[in-house]
Amino acid sequence: MTGAAAAVESRDRFGLGWRPELAAGILAHLAQIDLIEVIAEEYFDAPRRDLRALQTLAAQVGIVLHGVSLGLASTVPVEPRRLDRIARLIDATGAESWSEHLAFVRGGGIEIGHLAAPPRNEALVEGACRNLERAAQIVGCAPQVENIATLVVPPASRLDEADWIARIVCGAGVGLLLDLHNLYANAVNFGDDPHSLLCRLPLERVKVVHLSGGRWIDGPDGARRLLDDHLHDIPPEVFALLSELGRLAPQPVTIVIERDGRFPPIARLLEQLDIARAALAAGRAAAT
Amino acid sequence: MSSPALEGFLARLYTDESSLAEFLRRPAEIARAAGLNDAEVLALEGADHVGLVMAARSFRAKRRRRRNHCGLFWLFSGRKR
Repeated sequence: MTGAAAAVESRDRFGLGWRPELAAGILAHLAQIDLIEVIAEEYFDAPRRDLRALQTLAAQVGIVLHGVSLGLASTVPVEPRRLDRIARLIDATGAESWSEHLAFVRGGGIEIGHLAAPPRNEALVEGACRNLERAAQIVGCAPQVENIATLVVPPASRLDEADWIARIVCGAGVGLLLDLHNLYANAVNFGDDPHSLLCRLPLERVKVVHLSGGRWIDGPDGARRLLDDHLHDIPPEVFALLSELGRLAPQPVTIVIERDGRFPPIARLLEQLDIARAALAAGRAAAT
Repeated sequence: MSSPALEGFLARLYTDESSLAEFLRRPAEIARAAGLNDAEVLALEGADHVGLVMAARSFRAKRRRRRNHCGLFWLFSGRKR
């Protein structure tokens, strides 16, 4: 690594998604982890002792909150009570920032139970921007917003993914949490080039990057699509995208590895963090 | 061409197997019966039906996994732990 690349890299941060199964390993290796990302909803009704534990952790390592249930990308206004809970949790934990997905998670009184891609059109751009404005007002700061993976071309879409994301992120003036596996999965599933898709995003707004893995699944009529399941290692193609991001976006970024199951030994995740450090540094070096 | 009604319709397709099967057999008729406007009906008729099936299956598996692991399903359902 060159001196210049090392200097640039030192402004970037690297962390892991906080999961109970990983807690012991993370706590034993805090020196190698700059921050943890906590699922906000897991602490909404947490007992006081759990919040105190999080506060103690926040004194040792950076903490950011990640929401999964607001459904900000919707023509339906987000409920203030959901935003109130985010605001209270930020106060209680001292989290430095928060993020949410560009997804809808409910409609017509039905909970989907996961992140669904809404129609990518002007009405959703306006709805998402209104919701982000409301979120910033109630929480006190705007979330960074994350691109999601989808197995279906969102029905009734009129904008392509990059354009849709750019209009929301730039229109609302918020930061982008760029999930590179989501980007990769959507690109390969729907015939786009991942690097081209990356270049069409507002990269100057990227604050945080998610890395994860997935697997190919079969569908009707012989269809095969890549599912972002957070159960597998990060593929080389995603590290290549991280390098490209490092080359194209000079600002400091925070890298978070997400793993939701089939947990490997912590050493394996730390190794992947090292690969991420090297990939980003290589991109930074290529830009200089 | 996007509305709370369309989001509700999609939420039903993603969570109710029989509604999805009915929609795939008669997309325009089912969408119109749900009160969607002409543009929305047309868009759904030409939608990525293979993807709808795969997305619905994936959501169903994720809901099941969360229930089995006493995990994050309550986050979405609004239930308290």
